Amino acid sequence: MRTIRKFEFLNARTIDEAVNTLAAYKGKAWPFAGGTDILRMMRFQPLPENLYPEVLINLKTISPSLEYIKEEDGILSIGALTKLVDIANNALVGERYSALANAANKVASPQIRNMATISGNICQLTHCLYFSKPDNRFHCLRKGGSECPAQLGDNRYCSIFGDVNGCVAVNTSDIAPALIALNARIKTNKRMVNAGEFWDVRVPGSTILDEDEIVVEIQVPRPPPDAKSVFMKFSIRSSIDFPIVNGAALIGDGVARIALNAVAPKPYRATKAEEVLKGKTIDETAAEEAAIAAVSEASPLSFNKWKISVAKAIVKRMVLNTKSR
Amino acid sequence: MNIPGEKKTDDIGVESKNLAKPPQIIGLTVNGRQHIFKVGVDIQPNTTLRDLLKERLGLYSPKEMCQGDGSCGSCTVMLDGKPVLSCLTLAVDCDGKSVETVEGIAEAGHPLIDAFRNNYAYQCGYCTSGFIVAAKALLDRNPNPTDEEIVKALSGNICRCGAYAAIISAVREAAERLKGG
Ligand SMILES: Cc1cc2nc3c(=O)[nH]c(=O)nc-3n(C[C@H](O)[C@H](O)[C@H](O)COP(=O)(O)OP(=O)(O)OC[C@H]3O[C@@H](n4cnc5c(N)ncnc54)[C@H](O)[C@@H]3O)c2cc1C
Ligand code: FES
Ligand code: FES
Repeated sequence: MRTIRKFEFLNARTIDEAVNTLAAYKGKAWPFAGGTDILRMMRFQPLPENLYPEVLINLKTISPSLEYIKEEDGILSIGALTKLVDIANNALVGERYSALANAANKVASPQIRNMATISGNICQLTHCLYFSKPDNRFHCLRKGGSECPAQLGDNRYCSIFGDVNGCVAVNTSDIAPALIALNARIKTNKRMVNAGEFWDVRVPGSTILDEDEIVVEIQVPRPPPDAKSVFMKFSIRSSIDFPIVNGAALIGDGVARIALNAVAPKPYRATKAEEVLKGKTIDETAAEEAAIAAVSEASPLSFNKWKISVAKAIVKRMVLNTKSR
Repeated sequence: MNIPGEKKTDDIGVESKNLAKPPQIIGLTVNGRQHIFKVGVDIQPNTTLRDLLKERLGLYSPKEMCQGDGSCGSCTVMLDGKPVLSCLTLAVDCDGKSVETVEGIAEAGHPLIDAFRNNYAYQCGYCTSGFIVAAKALLDRNPNPTDEEIVKALSGNICRCGAYAAIISAVREAAERLKGG
């Protein structure tokens, strides 16, 4: 049995305390939310010694609590520390923002949804087979190394849309595509970021956040009344497993937004597919055309051409599913 | 129950007035009994809830089939009434919370225990306590679950021996018994 790597654990009582402490430790402190992603990393230790946090800062002790869901003036606001189970079961989210509720309901397993938060989900580390191997077996680009073992190795689950900064690992957040399709904004202690611009590929992080920056709220504008949003996920088992390809779409009332994830190092907005659907009535032909357009820029690696068919099928089905109300 | 840190500066010499503080004492209720643990003495920051239950309280029911990867459910315990993975829960993060394990469920005479036995709902038995906790959580909030609801509630638990059909029958039987059947 592997024990979790040593660290110091601090409870933040305010957002200020959290970000001041993050700043004081200069990258050696990381925020701690549900812990399901970070503790697994601290146990299996895929990173080189210099990249681990020495301090974890508990955001769940912040008061007033960052755990809430409310809708005001046509904007749904979700506190950063809201548990996925509460998003999945919220009647309002289920009715008006169904892609988000369905995405939350498809993350990992019931136990993990009881523990995991929305901010932890969107900040999870992107990973591939090689990145995740325990004890820094593969010192890849995202660990400060000089090559990407997946480019020539087992890349069956990797990016079909090329690399970012040389990395072909995919972002596996189920929540991310729902936020992009729904045109959400992510509020931090410093700024407001459109969901489409929130993700990045760094050593080892996966977001644009600074060392002393935390997500405090997710804001989603209420979709137009006749638009429908859907989420779809393809994974090996229907529970526990990370997505192989997932996607979300918001279509109707003159709007067409489609996002895919687990297909690229950052969530992928299928703008070509959106253009195809502009001004069209949704039917089998339009859905097929959108699906073809969605993967028109794909450039698969040696072992993952098959993922293009999966992405295509997901786009087609999502588009057709937005038809029936 | 957190006692604010006494130190005025921390290790890096930064004034600690507006900084996060370490918890010093963790109080939690396990199967109805209250316990207090000193951080740094009884438990460390990296002590998981599973380690605490096993090493400090001698409760051996939560297993660690996937070695703490989060992917098997054998370490499932109830935290404030909800099933969670004790392998990915920190003991220092449980202050003021209430934990229930299979030992507590059995002590309370819950029909799930007999139902698992009657249905031979295991082969090696390593997954059993995780399944029983997940099933107890389901029956607490939904005493009359459909088969589909049972499957969904147990979808975070893996049985390597493939006793799934018998496990579902056991949960169905326990639900019947709870209704007085
Ligand atoms: C077995 C297993 C299966 C999984 N399957 C899926 C899946 O199917 N789909 C999926 O999407 N994910 C999956 N995950 C990944 C992940 O654990 C969850 O998605 C979860 O939502 C992470 O949330 P958390 O609150 O536990 O995050 P934590 O582990 O607490 O944090 C994750 C990361 O986010 C950072 N962070 C947390 N909160 C903030 C904040 N407010 N501001 C800035 N940074 C922050 C942390 O520093 C850390 O780097 C799985 C994990 C496991 C263990
Ligand atoms: S030991 Fe497998 S999920 Fe905890
Ligand atoms: S009975 Fe052996 S793992 Fe389930």
